[in-house]
Formats: sequence, C-alpha cells, structure tokens
Amino acid sequence: MAAIALRNLWARRLRTFLTALAVVLGVMMIAGTYVLTDTIDRSFDEIFTESNEGVDAVVSTKEIVEFDDGSLPPFDASLLGAVRKTPGVEEAEGSIADTGVAIIGSDGERVGAGGAPSLAFSAGLERFDPLTYSDGRPPQTDDEVVIDFGTAENEGFEVGDRVELAGRAGTREYTVSGLGKLGNAESLGGATFAVLTLAEAQRITGKEGEFDVINVAAAPGTSPDRLAANLEASLPDNVKAETGEENTEAQKQDINEGIGFLKTALLVFAGVALFVASFLIFNTFSITVAQRTREFAMLRTLGANRRQLIVTVITEAFAIGLLGSALGLLAGIGFSSVLEALFKALEIDLPAAGTVIAGRTVIVSVVLGTSLTVLSALLPALRATRVPPVAGLREGAVLATPRQHRIRAGIGTVLALLGMALMALGLFGALDPGELALGLGAVVVFIGVALLSPWLVPPLAGLVGKPLERLRGTPGRIAHENTVRNPGRTAATAAALMIGLALVSFVAIFAAGLKGSIDEAIDETITADLYLANSDGFSDIPAGAADAVGDVEGVELAAPLRYTQYAKPDGSKGGFLTLLDTAGAADVLELDWRDGGSDELLTEMGPNDAVLDEGFADDKGLATGDTFTVLTASGREIDYTVTGTFKDKTDFIGDYAASDANAAAYGEGDNATNVLVKLGDEVDTDSVRGQVEDTVEEGFPTIEVQNQQELKDSIGKQLNQLLGGVYGLLFLAVIVSLFGIVNTLALSIHERTRELGLLRAVGTSRRQVRRIVRYEAVITALIGAVLGAALGVIFAVLVSRPLADEGFTLTIPFGTLLILLVLAAIAGVLAAIGPARRASRLDVLQALSYE
Amino acid sequence: MTGSPIVSARDVTRVFGEGDAAVQALDGVSVDFPEGAFTAIMGPSGSGKSTLMHILAGLDRPTSGTVAIDGVDLSGLDDGELTELRRDKVGFVFQFFNLLPVLSAEENILLPLSLAGRDPDRERFDQLVDAVGLRDRLTHRPAELSGGQQQRVAIARGLISSPAVLFADEPTGNLDTNSSEEILGLMRRAADELGQTIVTVTHDAHVAATADRVLVLVDGRIVQDAEPKSAEGVLDLMKQVA
Repeated sequence: MAAIALRNLWARRLRTFLTALAVVLGVMMIAGTYVLTDTIDRSFDEIFTESNEGVDAVVSTKEIVEFDDGSLPPFDASLLGAVRKTPGVEEAEGSIADTGVAIIGSDGERVGAGGAPSLAFSAGLERFDPLTYSDGRPPQTDDEVVIDFGTAENEGFEVGDRVELAGRAGTREYTVSGLGKLGNAESLGGATFAVLTLAEAQRITGKEGEFDVINVAAAPGTSPDRLAANLEASLPDNVKAETGEENTEAQKQDINEGIGFLKTALLVFAGVALFVASFLIFNTFSITVAQRTREFAMLRTLGANRRQLIVTVITEAFAIGLLGSALGLLAGIGFSSVLEALFKALEIDLPAAGTVIAGRTVIVSVVLGTSLTVLSALLPALRATRVPPVAGLREGAVLATPRQHRIRAGIGTVLALLGMALMALGLFGALDPGELALGLGAVVVFIGVALLSPWLVPPLAGLVGKPLERLRGTPGRIAHENTVRNPGRTAATAAALMIGLALVSFVAIFAAGLKGSIDEAIDETITADLYLANSDGFSDIPAGAADAVGDVEGVELAAPLRYTQYAKPDGSKGGFLTLLDTAGAADVLELDWRDGGSDELLTEMGPNDAVLDEGFADDKGLATGDTFTVLTASGREIDYTVTGTFKDKTDFIGDYAASDANAAAYGEGDNATNVLVKLGDEVDTDSVRGQVEDTVEEGFPTIEVQNQQELKDSIGKQLNQLLGGVYGLLFLAVIVSLFGIVNTLALSIHERTRELGLLRAVGTSRRQVRRIVRYEAVITALIGAVLGAALGVIFAVLVSRPLADEGFTLTIPFGTLLILLVLAAIAGVLAAIGPARRASRLDVLQALSYE
Repeated sequence: MTGSPIVSARDVTRVFGEGDAAVQALDGVSVDFPEGAFTAIMGPSGSGKSTLMHILAGLDRPTSGTVAIDGVDLSGLDDGELTELRRDKVGFVFQFFNLLPVLSAEENILLPLSLAGRDPDRERFDQLVDAVGLRDRLTHRPAELSGGQQQRVAIARGLISSPAVLFADEPTGNLDTNSSEEILGLMRRAADELGQTIVTVTHDAHVAATADRVLVLVDGRIVQDAEPKSAEGVLDLMKQVA
C-alpha cells in the first residue's frame, strides 16, 4: 500500500508540490529563525570570549538597580590601589567601557543603527586588549582614537583622518591612529566603538576619576577562582569581583535574553505560518480523498481493509511532510539572510559571523513539519476508510458530502467562545503566563471559526458574490455558485487566509489605537515648545545640554527630565520614575492632579518629596503624608514623603516624580532622558529654534530638536517601522494561504473538467472561463478577508480592554481595513492566474470525455 | 424538406496519433446537411461517427478537408472565433453532463445567451419552455430533476439561440424508454415545426428511425445514405453494412 501511496504522489506531482510548499514555507521560517539567532548568539559569544581573553578576574560595580539596558554606574578609581594590593594579583588595570560616545560621520550625523550602542573603551595594557588591529596602532596621545573597522568602511575613514566624537562631556576631534575589530565580527550589529587613552576616555564620558571595570591578571599559581575570591574579600561592598569566565558567561546570558525575545517573536510568526499551512494540508487531503472515492472503493472491492486505506493516505502525508520539511530546512538557511536583511531595513543590524546550523534546528524542523502534515491528514484519511466498496461500481459516485452536522456548528461556537474566554483570562492576568493563554486562545478561536465557517460561507459568498454577479454577469454568477457548492472546502481555504488577515488587521487596529493614545498623551502632558532627545530615539543625552540651551537668547527655560529606575529597599526590582527640574517642570509638563493638587507641588518640591502616579499610590496604599523608601543605583536609600498624586494614563512619568537634586544618587548625574524647552512669550519661534539647533549641533550632535508635532511624527515613524516588520513576517502566513487558494482551485478545476468542457462547448470563451476561475478565487479570498478583518476587530477590542484605564482609545481604521480587503481581492486574482490558465486551456473534446 | 446545405464537409480526414500508432478515424468524408433536415449518423464503435460530429460542430479540427457551417468556413477560424460560432450558430445536447450543476434550469437554458451578453428573447424562451414542458421546474437545480427532465432542459438550451444546427450526441443513451420517447418527439417537432436542422449521433435504431435521413459510417467512410422507413428498416441497413 505504501508503494501505491508514493506512486500517487508522483503521478500528481503538481499537487504534491503545492501541498509540500505550504510545509516548506512554515518550516523555512522556523529553521531560518534558529539559524539566524544561533548565528547571532555565536557572534556575540566570540566577541565576549575574545574581549575577556587574558583577563582572570573582573571588578565592576555591584548591580543594585537592574537597568533595562544592562548598564552599570562607574566606581571610584581609587579602588585600583586596593586591587593591586590584593594577594594573587599580578597586574590590574582600570578601564572605561561606556555606551554613550557616538562617532560623528562625514555627514555630521551620528554613525550607527538606531538601536545599537555607541561604545567607547580606554586603551591599555596589551595583555588585556581585546582588539585585533586591521590597520594602525592603539591611541598613544589624548588626541588619537581607534575606531571600529565597520564604521571606517562605511564612512570612508582611514588612519590619519580627523574624526569627531560626541560624549557626555561634549564633542572633540581626534586623529584616527588605527582600525580595530572585536573578535572576528565584520559587523557589530550596528554598534560602533571608539578607543581612547584612559584619561581621554574618562574625560569624554564624564567619568573622570572613575572606572567602569578593573581587569585583573592572576600571579602564577593563583587560580582565577582564588583570585576572584581574594578580591571579593578585600574590596568594599559597592563592587563585585568575578572570574573572566564568569564575566563572559554573564554577558552572554544578557545577550541571550535579548535575542531570546527576538527568537520567540520570530518563532511565533513561524508558528502562524505553520498553523496556516496545516489548514492547507487538511484541505488538500480532504479534496483529494473525495476525488479518489472510486479508487478507494476499487481497492476495497479488491480486498483492502480500512487500515490499509488509512496507511495509504498517511504514507502520502508522511512523504509530503518529510519532503516539505527537508526543503524547508534548506530554504530556512537561505531565509535567515532574508530575515537579517529585513532587520537591517528596520535599522536593527545584527552581527553575523558564519552560519550556524545546530542539530536542534534540523530535528525541530523535520519533526515539526512532518508530524504536522501527518496530523492534518489524519481526519481526511479516516474519511477515506468510510468509502463503501460499492461506490466504485456506481457511475459518477461521489462521497456523500459530509453532512454539516449541527454538532460541528455547536463545537465551533463553543470553541470560538472558549478561545475568547481564554484570551480574556490571559489578558486580565487570571492565567499565567498571560501571553501563552492569549496565543492559545487565539488559536482556539481560529479553529472554532474555521469549524463554523461552512455556515458562514454561503451568506458571505452572497455578500461579495452578488455585486460581482451584477457587475460581471454569468461568469460572476457561476463563480459565486461554485464557491458555495462545497462550503466546507471554500471555508477551509478562506479560513487559512482569515488567520493571516485577522492578525494583520489586529496589528493595524492596535497600532492605530496606540498611535492615537501616544499622540493624546503628548498633547495632554507636554506643554514645552521644543523637545530635545537622542536622535536614536531612546539613549540618554548629556545633561549639560540643558544649561547650554537655557543660555540661548529667547529660551525662557530648559528643563532636563530624567526617566530612570529604582529598586526596592530589599534589593528586588522596583520600577520607573522621573526626576524633574523642580523649578521649570511645571512650565513644560502638565500633570493631571488629584485631590486638589496643583503645580505648586512641583515648584515647591524638596529633595525628599515625591508625587505619585495614582495607580502606584493605590497599589501601595500610599496617601499624601505617607512615606516610602527606595534604593538607588548608587546604593543609597532615599526616604520620600508623598506630597500629592496625579493621574498619568500613559505611564509617561512612571511610579513617581521627584526632584533631580538626587540625580547623582540614581546614577544619572550627567545624563538626561530629555530636555524640555519653553520659549519666551514674544519671540520669533523659528529663529530661536534655529539658535537652539545651532547650539545643540555644536556641542551635542547626538541630540535632535523636535516640536510637539515632530515628536508625534517621529514616534509614528518608529511605530510604522515596527509595523512594517510585523507585516513582513505575517506576509509569509498570507503567502501560504494563497498557495491554499491555488491548490483548492486547481483541485476543483480538475474535478469540474467535464463541466468546463461543456461550458466551452456551448460557447464560453477562454477568457470567460478564466474569469469564472478568477472570480471564484476573489470571492474565496474576500470571504477570508472579511472573516479575518472581523476577527481582527474582535481581537483588538478584547486586547485593548485592560488598557482602557491607561487611556488606550480604540479607533477602527476603516480605510486600512478597506485597503486590506482590496489587497485580498488582488491576492485572489494572483492566486487564480495559474489555475485559470489551466482551466481555459483544457481541450474541449478531452474535457467532455473526461472521467 | 431539403434546401441549401447548412453544414457541409468536403474530403474530411482525421488522423489520430503519428507514425505506426496513427489511426485513420475519418477517411475522405464529403457530406451536406440541408436546412431543416433531421439526420442520424450511425455506425459501429470506432467507425468515426463521433469524430465526424465533433468536426462538423467545430469542436475538433480535421487533418485535411474543409467544413462550413451556415456558409462560414471553419478552417480559417481561431479559437475565439470558433467559440463565438458555437455560441451563435450551434446547439449541443450530450449524453452525460449536459447541465451546469450550480445553475437553475432556467439559467442553464439561457446560458449561451448570457455568456454572449445578449438579452434573452422572452417569447422564444416561453415557447421553448412550454414545448419541453418545464414551466414548473425552472427554478430547480439539475440535481433535483430526473434524467429526462435534464435532457429536456438541454434541448431547450440547445435551441434558445436559434442555432443554424443542433448537434446531439447519443441524446437518449442514458434514458429509460419513456423519457427517450419524449426526447425524440421533441427533436422531431423541432425539425417539423421550427424547421430546425438537427444532426445526431446514435446507436439506437429507434432514434435513427425518427430522423429524415440516416448516414452509416464504417471505418471512417460513409457507406450508406438513406431515408429510414422504420426501426426495422434501419436495422436492415445496418445488417447490410455488416
């Protein structure tokens, strides 16, 4: 029986190929994700391993507040003496490793991709030097710099050129003394680095008299573990010592967590594509089993038992799954570079050195692809066994179309509701982890709606088919009728497209709501005329910019804003807060005060006063007059007295706002997140803005000046970029579902060969035949799109419910949804090209005598 | 009864396959079908009778020779023109698979006109519907009709566009005796009352006996061209051939 199965596959090569293609696409994405993330992992591993080579122990600041960006405040340089005196230390060197020194390119703008850090290191002893110099030598004077090879390539810098750096202490020009690489990485994932002498590195980063790390080499006979233990014992509490290996591992761990998120996100999209593919596989097998009724009946009369029929169908599925998985795995290796390109387009440059194909990648791809195919074919295989032997003897026997049991509708409804309930439970935190419950709920909803859709198809087909009939006459009429003659088939085909479109429209609706809410928050909260932020959109800017801009004529005040983190007194993770310039904050920010509070709470705020976000206050049971204690990054505890509460719908401020008098304690002495600028009442806005821009460009080239509208636009742009990436990834699922349409059409046309012959005989032109097929595809695609858009709206409403309190207002972007429908229709037209051509080329006579 | 030829074939040959495997299905057939005549083409299996009908109807092209329908030489027409000619000048009735399952009886009847984008002649439609006796079945789908009813719908569809010629391929091959009688009666009346030219391929001596003229094909040649007197007469004709 297995031989029959394989011969069947070969005889129907095209169908086999189209079905396998669905598996290929899903598996491709899984394999591609693994290959890409493994490759990135290894690149970083190499970088970290390389940079700690020759380092037996590392001394760094003990992490008190776990910052989201992983940064640590520096410690006092005097510690170096203590380290050198520690037993077992042969040599120790303090150095700077900073993430805030940008290289200014030839165009006057910072070099590097949006999200990647701008690193700066201090040069030092050769034994600790992690760099490979591709050209030149380390910096020897304070006027020299080594920059990374990638930046030099991109910007055309050579040894001997002058290059400008911008750090916390402003900008300065240096002569390039050499070019370097970290490890073997050609690209640092958009990051740049600059290596300066220790003194200059300390100066430009604003860390004079401080180090970020001390690298230590052990004396002969002292193990790294011993060394680290000795250091730990002799050093004060604010720093920690670990072995070079431990430090490397810790860094890898940090990166793995970051990449882990990316991996999970990509795998989710791959899962969506595979889920869609399983619909396609199920549908293809259902149709082919129905078409082969006579063949199965014949086998039954010849004495094949039911089990043998199942084996035949499952063997076919297994072969298709294996073939598809294998091809998908190969395609995935190539696809990893497509993903990389996609991220590059999103300005997320990822480091890559060589391609890593782990055993896990191969196993997961093949097992998942194959088992999913077999699973999807199981139900159709069971149906094949219900063919009575006598069916083979009857003229034109077809398997009775499975009656649309009420039970099925019931199950569909129950599943759809259950799925939504599951999503709701996940959203409102009743289930943990919520994301999993949400995703699982969505999957259950999709299956429920797919089960229901045979009932939904006729009315929906009428909705889109009727206008088509009116516009396109008989071909439209026949196409419409063709979509409803086997509602289950159309339903499964449309359901595959529905999934992709539901997610696309959900994302579109949600993003529109997010954009609207952010705009509203900016409108309501920020009253400043100008807004200064890092041009990368998230890094800190030098706090000194506030003073410089404040001195510009026509500027009334420039207030720095520091958005940072605190820990709880017991050292556990706390939350976010904003440190304000109490004198000016009320002029540039508008807080929605509760309980009779007013802006005087800001202007008269003492170093130990705090105003709380309503949510935080309620959560902690804090009221005006109460006190609470936080732990800052420097290890200092601060006691605050609550002076008021405000409502901050968008969580712009964080848990509380306090005076920036304590900025240094929070490790933010020299940093600001933003500077909010208020202009004088009767000044020429444009000319003052021009002067502000000049000032910023001169001293702080990493800063971007924006007004309120520009701020909203740039956030919108970032959001759109993210959306573009999400759409790109969902596109694959949509492509898979288009193959579904192609496959279903091809199979249906095959089934209706004689009908097509008849149509041609009575005077249907080839063009009209093509139209009939095309319209059928368009109607099917539109059914999927309408269902998808409806589900997308439902999902968006559901998911935004818990956010409503935080000011999330849902707006349905009807224009976008309409565009989606049009795109779906176009996709239908594209999917129909092949099948329509085939149908129109049928030889009339052969078609008429076809059995 | 006879007039100028509506369909005429000259020296038509049709070869299937190539080289050693080549089969000569038609071997120099020349024949005219005058206006208003009801002709039956008979012959044993493999005699080429179906091939002849396909070529006469423009469904297939001859290897050599020419065919003209209503004065139009088919050999000069491309696929699109042939399709139009079929739509306008030719009606078809087949043995199986005669109707589109997704359309109602009425839609099936009007199909050739709606495909051509022409408005139906309501008078002719009513006349045909009454003639085939399907007034109360117009909204039904083919699956809801009996075999005889389906074939009556097919005949009405074949005649709706007032074709120059109606071709029928074993129109009663799949029907019981009563239904066959009805269909033959309908075809006879179409010829008598509407002056419809009809060409049918059949095995059934009874069908041939209803026609005005019987052609008998053997090995791709016309070996008999006679007027049938009765079913027995047709059988005699066949015996002579054998």
